[in-house]
This record gives sequence, structure tokens and C-alpha cells, in this order.
Amino acid sequence: MHPGKWLIDFALDHPRLVTAVMVGIAAVLIALVAAPSLAPDTFPMLSGVKVDTDPENMLDRDEPVRIFHNDMREVLSLYDMVVVGVVNDAHPNGVFNVQSLRNIYDLTEFARSLRGEALGVSDPRAGVIEVDLIAPSMVDSIEQGEPGTVTFEWLMPRPPETDEEALAVREKAMRIPFLNGTLVSEDGKAISLYLPLTSKDMSSRVYSKLQPMIAELEQRGGDDAYYVTGQPVAEDVFGVEMFKQMAISAPLAMLVIFLLMLFFFRKLILIISPMIIAMLAVIYTMGLLIATGNTIHIMSSMIPIFIMPIAVLDSIHILSEFFDRYQETRDRRKTISAVMASLFMPMLYTSLTSAAGFGSLALAPIPPVQVFGIFVALGVLLAWLFTVMFIPAFVMMLPERSLENFGAPAGHAEEAGAHTASGRLLRWMGRFAYRNAKAVIAASVVLAVVAAYGISLIEVNDNPTKWFRKSHPIRVADRVLNEHFGGTYMAYLALSPEGEQAKPMEQAEEAEEEPTDAPDLPSGLGGEEPGLPAGLGGEEPGLPAGLGGTPSAAPTAAPTSSEPEALEIFKDPGVLAYINRMQAALVETEAVGKSNSLADIVRTVHRDLIDGTEASYRIPDSASAVAQCLMQYQSSHRPGDLWHFVTPDYRHTSVWVQLRSGDNVDMQRVVEAMEAFFAENPPVFEIAGETVRLEPQWFGKTYINVVWQEKMVTGMLMSFLGSFFVVLLMMTVLFRSGLWGLLSMIPLTLTIALIYGVLGLIGKDYDMPVAVLSSLTLGLAVDFAIHFMARSRELQRENGSWKDTYALAFGEPARAILRNVIVIAVGFTPLLFAPLVPYNTVGVFLASILLISGVATLLLLSSLIRLLEPLLFPKTRVCSITCRCGTCILTAVTAVLVVWVNVVQFISKGVTQFTIVSIIALPILMLGCFLASRRAACRTREALCETED
Amino acid sequence: MKFSWLMLSGILAGLACAGLAVPAVAQDAAPSVDEIVAKTNHMAYYQGASGRARVKMTITDSQGRARSKEFTMLRKNMDDQDKTQRFYVYFHAPADERGTVFMVHKFVDKDDDRWLYMPALDVVKRIAASDERTSFVGSHFFYEDVSGRGLDEDHHELVETTDTYYVLKNTPKDPGSVEFDSYTMYIHKDTFIPVLTQYEKGGEVYRESKALAVEEIQGYKTVTRSMISDMNQGGQTTLEYTSVTYDTDLPDDLFTERRLRNAPMEHLQD
Repeated sequence: MHPGKWLIDFALDHPRLVTAVMVGIAAVLIALVAAPSLAPDTFPMLSGVKVDTDPENMLDRDEPVRIFHNDMREVLSLYDMVVVGVVNDAHPNGVFNVQSLRNIYDLTEFARSLRGEALGVSDPRAGVIEVDLIAPSMVDSIEQGEPGTVTFEWLMPRPPETDEEALAVREKAMRIPFLNGTLVSEDGKAISLYLPLTSKDMSSRVYSKLQPMIAELEQRGGDDAYYVTGQPVAEDVFGVEMFKQMAISAPLAMLVIFLLMLFFFRKLILIISPMIIAMLAVIYTMGLLIATGNTIHIMSSMIPIFIMPIAVLDSIHILSEFFDRYQETRDRRKTISAVMASLFMPMLYTSLTSAAGFGSLALAPIPPVQVFGIFVALGVLLAWLFTVMFIPAFVMMLPERSLENFGAPAGHAEEAGAHTASGRLLRWMGRFAYRNAKAVIAASVVLAVVAAYGISLIEVNDNPTKWFRKSHPIRVADRVLNEHFGGTYMAYLALSPEGEQAKPMEQAEEAEEEPTDAPDLPSGLGGEEPGLPAGLGGEEPGLPAGLGGTPSAAPTAAPTSSEPEALEIFKDPGVLAYINRMQAALVETEAVGKSNSLADIVRTVHRDLIDGTEASYRIPDSASAVAQCLMQYQSSHRPGDLWHFVTPDYRHTSVWVQLRSGDNVDMQRVVEAMEAFFAENPPVFEIAGETVRLEPQWFGKTYINVVWQEKMVTGMLMSFLGSFFVVLLMMTVLFRSGLWGLLSMIPLTLTIALIYGVLGLIGKDYDMPVAVLSSLTLGLAVDFAIHFMARSRELQRENGSWKDTYALAFGEPARAILRNVIVIAVGFTPLLFAPLVPYNTVGVFLASILLISGVATLLLLSSLIRLLEPLLFPKTRVCSITCRCGTCILTAVTAVLVVWVNVVQFISKGVTQFTIVSIIALPILMLGCFLASRRAACRTREALCETED
Repeated sequence: MKFSWLMLSGILAGLACAGLAVPAVAQDAAPSVDEIVAKTNHMAYYQGASGRARVKMTITDSQGRARSKEFTMLRKNMDDQDKTQRFYVYFHAPADERGTVFMVHKFVDKDDDRWLYMPALDVVKRIAASDERTSFVGSHFFYEDVSGRGLDEDHHELVETTDTYYVLKNTPKDPGSVEFDSYTMYIHKDTFIPVLTQYEKGGEVYRESKALAVEEIQGYKTVTRSMISDMNQGGQTTLEYTSVTYDTDLPDDLFTERRLRNAPMEHLQD
């Protein structure tokens, strides 16, 4: 008798109905997702597939650092950029030769036109922002001309015709600090073009347009190498690869698992069922994920890969036992009933623990991780439901004769199993653990200590660029360009007056716009003008007031006075000098290759307005002099460039920081170094009798990555602890024993310790995928312990002593574990060949988790059982938790910890969509409990101690 | 420089001072393209023998953030051929730009001479004759718009004559030297004031200048409010002319390098 009997009986009685409902719902889900994805306009109410590869979304939309990031980007007009690096290592002058510069010129001319129609989008302005494009032919050079003169002209107005002219371009560019190390590499070999985009979803279009152009340039000959990169490109490529992995790696893993199962069970028709279960679980989960409007993110794209092994695990236990028992009775209904009876509770608990492990991620402070956790938990529970219902149904639907040769020969199950190589290995392991229990435990303790040391070495670090493998073009471009330039990873260090926001609420909306249309024609002067001017498409303009037009109602833009109301902080020479000191401190960190600031612009313009010598490369002495330098700087082809560094009210500025590495540790180091700098040099100034306190604040993608990673590490640790206690509580309840509960946690604890210990020892960074995998470890590693202990306890009761039991425990139950280890570990090797590192990590982790927890379960648990036998199998058989003091205390402590750890996280999150989900789920679960408790079985006292009787 | 005089008309029209007689062009006698071009150029830059205007310039960016500057512009025609001219632009505001001077000696047959004086740095600089299509002090106007684009730099074509306007299409002779493909001017038939100038590139109008208000001052039709808009980036610059006077007595030595440091305040104060 087990609680799920009616469920299984139902499936056995109505196999076709169960199958039809399962498949039917799957078909509906597929339709729900496919319809809006393929025809979004026809089904606006449904949500289709939305891909999101932006690492920024690791943070909540209303996270303060993200709001600040977006506000600053807006007020300073900073855009996502596609970077095209051109490197020539063969020519002695690098790219500064006639041929290369010609190519670069042509590439620029091509790139500047990439918007609107050229990209196949209807908005004519969408695409590359021409005025902000950085290229030799698009930027200004300010320089000394004849004595007493200064010139402002394009750095490279046309391709040079001689090598001297080519070198002159380099000379000019390298004199301008803003360009040196950004446009032109410091070694003078390479040039980078920066193509700002109106929005980053233009990048894939721009990227694909650039490819043929680059191919054409390469065909002209020459030794130029082209590298296209930049954050939006990397994100796009990642999205594409992610889909490829979902379409290739996951099915390939499925295929390998299928072949392995075929090898173990040799019955094609039977092993189709776990495949169907895995597929259905994935379809349901992903279907619900997409239909509920969630995006496919790097995290959620991995959901299928997490669900598949877990979905298959339970089936392997069932099939394994069915395989061993079938020939005893040759009655499939009886066999499957018996198998399900012994496996129902362990399977329920393994699924619940896995779900708890993932479900705890819903409390992590990172939205994509929450979604991932919730849906994997959902998938695990669905997979469980399918397993207990569909496998029995499937077995019933098979023609009896197709099972004729299935399974180990009758009555010889144990012997048959024992004579295979794996059987011998398991038997040896059982004996070994029984005889050397103390040694096994001692060895485990030693390993745990080593692991603890390893864990202390773990370095928390991430870098979304490193989610690509080393050989990937994006990684190659990243490496090459960072060798030549001051760094391609951008972060910004903003300075604002304390408490003052750069983007006042509703600011832009309030400003009155100058009317864009001239006044209408007056009645007397041509109300009946002819239509459009032929061939020009424009409307004939109205006449201005005074020429017969009516005066326009709003004569001027929003009232502005010539004199600023607030102090213009960043015209102050003292403040600018401070910014230069700040920049020097930045470069000292060594992670920063270069920085650009308003102060650099002022120094550069000052130098060339005075005499062009290095001595004049300084901040002038008065704010007026600064203002006049900047006035000249704006008298260029690109007056808007200034506003990328400072707001027009001169109250907010940002320093562009170029890092050579996108590693969070490097960014973190810079942040800390600057904190020290600000502590030593507080940004407080006396300007015109006013005390100004500036507040430094970071933004930019590289910095945002640091913020979400910090949250992730602490968040993951908390949710791991939370689920650890949940699982411990569940185990205590399952086994009605605190000791058994604690025991079941040992293999998984050792597994996790070893995995993270090795991580620390080999120096692999603790990054996003690694952090998330801790919950997978928890869910999977405890599975084996549950199966092994539940079955051992059952067998122990039948045989009386561990001495007589362990051999049996190392029979069928151990075989199921071994089969699982092999199937999953080998099954996920295709992940190792994926070009995305997170997938590789998952593959290695899955194999390690199963292998280590399998071995730990078999050796360590059985050793512990051997030593603790008197305590574990006491004479008293009272099973109520409240009858055992230790168990009761442990349960109470665990329960308190569960509540404390999880509730603290839950409360601190405030109201999220998951709060709403929980509020809905709670009454449903309570209703379930109410109904369940009114079952007939509950009316008898025996139900109290069901697992033990 | 044909092209810029259209848009600059805004700036310069304030200073311009051709005779009151201009409006007398007969409607029925259709002028030739050259006549239209010449008259428009005259209206935009050459009205009167000299001119003075106080100008408030408001630069508004795509985010609606506005800054303003105020300057006085002095102009003197050095001949009556609508050719050689001198300009003296003195900045009053913002305070930290006060005293900055921009001076032009404009020639038709050779490059203009341009000077810059920055009082806070006490520096006088010649600005080398190169590209004049750079921003005038950070506004949406170009330097070329201030002093005028040479009539010989473009081909002119009268594409349409409406009841109100001569529509003139201007195509650069050296397309490499400018950023536009062509520009189209809507020239008011009665006054030859260029009311609207649109700059096109790739078939799109990306920049335009408009005369928003015209007044008659000392008998001269004068643009007193004008605007240049940038459709690519968003944002615009408006100019408002106050205290416009024509035919004031501006001595030649006012337009010399010497007077950059020593501004002729008697002509600059209102």
C-alpha cells in the first residue's frame, strides 16, 4: 500500500486515456507557442518565442544601478557599439599604408550608410548613427597650422595616396589622446571603427551586412585582418549559438542516452517510454515558459538540458527493476505494480528534493535564475507525474508477446546481474565497504578536508565574453583587439553633485519644442497654392511672419536665460584637474588600459589653441578659459561629441574607462582601487563660494556584470542553504528519523564539497553556470541516497541484519544507481563539444555529480550504515516523529532554519510575480491536503507508520 | 557658398540691407536663374552698406535641453558688387564666453580669412582656411552659414515657380567637399528672401533652415527669427534678432586683428 496506488491503478486501467491526455495537452502547448511565434500579428494576445541574450537582464529592471546606467546612457547619448578592428601585422607601418587605409575608408563609407532601407527596416533612422561613428574619415583633427593658425579638419578626409600621407594620418591621430588607444592602436598597427547603433537589436543586421563587405575587402589582397565584435554582436552571436545548442546538443544527448538504455535493457520498444517522458516534460515546461511570456535567456535555454536527465532518472529505476523482476511472474501488470509499489515513495521524494533544490532558486535575487528555478522545478514534478502514470500505461499498451524476452531470466535475477562485469564490480564494492567501513569513512573525511581547502581557494569571477570558447571568433577578436588597444570593455565612472539626478523626472517631456512647421499661409497670400513642388516630395513651405505669414504662437523654445541658474561644476579647473588625477589612479590599477574624459578634451584643445607643445597640454587656469576651449572644441564637424562626456549644464560628467579584460574580478579591483582613491581624495570642492560635493558612481555593462554577480553569489549561497534545510526536513520526515535524515545528506554534502573543492584547486572561476549548478547537485545527489537507503531499509527489515542485507542492496538497487550514473554521465558528453562554455560546464558537472554521488552513496553510506547499524535499526519500532527526542529536535531545528533562511529571502524580495504564484498555489495545495487527509487510508492507525510496516 | 547663404539668411538677413526697392521686382517678368541667385544672395547677406544686430541663439538638443548664447554681429560691405565683406561677431553671453570674437574677411575669389580671439586665454588665432562646414560655436549653424557659401560652388537650377516661391535646386560642383547631395531653396518671389532651405542626402532631407519671422527695418525686409533643424540627430538652433540697424557707420579699422583684443564697445552695447 502506498499513497500513489490509485494513481498507478488508474494508469493501468486507462492506459490509452492517460496517453491521449498527455499528448493532447502537449499538442495544445506546441500550438500555443508556435502560433504567435510564426504569426505574431495574427495572435497578438499570445506570447511567442522571445530571445533575450542581454546580460543586463540578470538584474531587475528597477534595480537602482540599472536605472542609473540607463539614465546616464540617455543623458550622455551613449550607445551600444559594433566594433570593427582592422589589424595588419605584415606591413611595417601596420594598417597605415595606402591599401589598408583605402579599405578602411571604403568600409567606413559603407558602414555609415547602414540604416533604414539598407538594413531592411522601415524606420529610416534605425541602424548606425552616422554622426557618432568613430572612423578616421569621420572624426576631426584639431591641429596647429602655420604659425598663429589652428585648423579643424577631418582626420582622413580621403584615402591617402602615398605612404607618407598614410603615416601622417597616424601621426595626427596619435597626437589626440581621445583617439590614441581607441581609434588607433598605441602600437600604430591597427585601427578600430566604432559603429554606434540606435538600438542593439540592429546589431545582427549590421553584422550580416558587414560580412560580405569585409569579404570583398579581403579579396582585394593585402594583409589586413578584420575582427568584428562589440557587446551587442557578442550577445547576438550568443543567442544564435544558444538556439543551436538547444537544437543540437540537447537532442544529441537524448540520442546517446537512448543508445545506452538500449544497451542496458535491450528492448527498444520499452525504452522509448522514458524518451517520450523526457520529451513531454521538456515540451510542457518550455511551452509553459514561453506561453507565460518569459524569454529564452541563457539560463532558460538550459532548462531542457536539466530536465532531461532528471526525467530519465526515475524511468531507469523503474525499468531497471522491471527488467530484473519481469521474468519472475511474466505478468506485466503484477510486475509493474510491484515495482511501482517499492519505488513510488523514493521517486516521489527524489523528485520533491530535486524540485526543492531548483525551486529554491526562485528566491535568488536574479530574475532569469528565478525563472529557471521555477520552471525546472515544474519540469521535474511533471516528469515525475509522467513517469508514474505513463510508464505503467505504456507497459500495459505493449502487446504481451513483445516483452517475451525482456529482463533477466526468472528466478536468477540476482545471479544473472551479478555475473556481468558491473555486477561483479558492485558486489566487490559492497564487500569492500562492509569490511573497510572505517577506512572508507576516514578517507571521506580526508577528502572533505581537502575539499574544504579547495573551496577556500575559489575565486568568484565571470565574464560573458568567456562564455564563448577560446577558439570562437568572438573570443579571438576580443583577444587580438585587447592586445592592440587600450581595452574594449567599457565602464563609465560618473561624477554628479550629491543627491542630484542627471535625468530629472519628466524633464524631456516638459521642454517645449519649437514648432517644426512654418506658419500656415495667410489667406491673401496663396491659400490655393499648387501642390507639392515637382519631384521634391516636400510640401511647399508657409511664409514666415512678416512676409504674410501669421506669427507663430510660441516664439521661442522653453524659456532659457543666457546665464545658467546652477553652478557649472565641470568647467572648474580644479574639478577638471581632480578628474585627471582620478584617471591616473584608474590607469595605476593596470586593469584599465585607457580612459577618456572631459578634462582630456580641454587639455587637448588648450594645447592646440596655445602652441601645440606638450607644455600646453594642461587644464587652463580659469573656468572662462575652459569654456572658451570647449566652445572651440564644439566648432568642429562633431559638436555633439562633447555631450558624451558632460551634460550641457556641466553638472554631470562621466569618464570613459577602457578595460582590457571583462573579468568581474578586474572590474571589481578597479572599483575598489577607486573607492580607496575617493576616500583619500574626497571629491569636495569650493567653487565660487559654494561647497560642491561630488558623488562618484559607476555604470556601463562591465560594471553591471559585477553587480549581478555579487548578488548571484550571495543569492545562490542563501538559496542553496534554504533548499539544503528543506531537503533535510523532507528526509527526516520520509525516514521518520533524524539520524536517517542526516545520513541521507552526507553523500550530497560530500559531492558538493568535492566538486567545488576541485573547482577551487584547479582554479576554475566560480561563475554563473557554476553557481546555478549547486542546486542541480543538491537535487541529483540526494536521489541516489534516497533510493539506496529506502531500499536498504526495506531489505534490512526482511533480512534482519546488515550483514545479510548489504549484498542484496548492492544487487538491484545499486545496479539502478550504476546504470543511472553511466547513462547520464555518458549521455551528456555531447555538451562538452558545444561552443558555449556554460554548456561544457553543465556537461562536466552532470557527469561529476552523478559519479561522485553514486560512489559516495554506495561506499560511504553503506560504511556508515555498517557502523551505525544499532542506532539505525533500533529494536523499538515506534515511528511517530514526536516519539523520538533527537529526531524531534532535529526536525524542529531544521524546520526553523527552513523558515528562517527561506522566509528572509522571500520577504526581502518584496512582491514579485512569484509572490502572486505562491498566493495562488497555497490554497490549491491546502485543498489538496484537505482532500488527501480525508482518504480512506487515513482513517486507520496503520497509516501512521506506513513506511515502516 | 550659395547653399549656406540660404540658411544663413536667417543670421545675415538681420544685417543685410539692400535697398527698400528690392520688392519692386515685377511679377510678370520672370527673372533668370542667375538673377534669382544673385538677388537672393543679396537679400541674405548684403542689404545696406553695413548692418548691426544683436542675436540670441538658442541651441536645443534632441533631449530638449536648451542653451543660449548672445552675440552682436557687425557687417560691412567692402564693395557694391555683393562681393567682399567683413564680419565681426562679439559674444556677450554666456558670461564665460564674453569677449570671444570671431572675425571674417570674406572674399569671393579666394578663401576667406578668419580670426578667433579668446579673452580668457588671451589668444588670437587665425583659423586656417579649410572646411567651413563645421559647427558655428556648437550650434546647428555652420561657419559657412554665417559668412555665406560662394555662389560659384554650386550648380543652380530653377525647378519650379509657384505663386509664392521660386524653387531652386543647388548641386555642388565638388560633391566631395560637402556632406549633402543637393539643397533646395524656396525663395519668396516678392522679396527674394529664402524662406526654406532643405539639404538632402540619399534622397532624404536631413537638415533645413527656415525663416520664421520677417520685419521691415529701415525699409529693409529683414529676417528676425530663423531656425535650423537637424533631422538626423534631432535638435535645432533658433536665432532671434533684436535691435537690427542698417547703414550704421562702421569704420574699416574695426575689422582688423588689432580690434579683436580691443573690442569696439561703442558699436556693441545696446
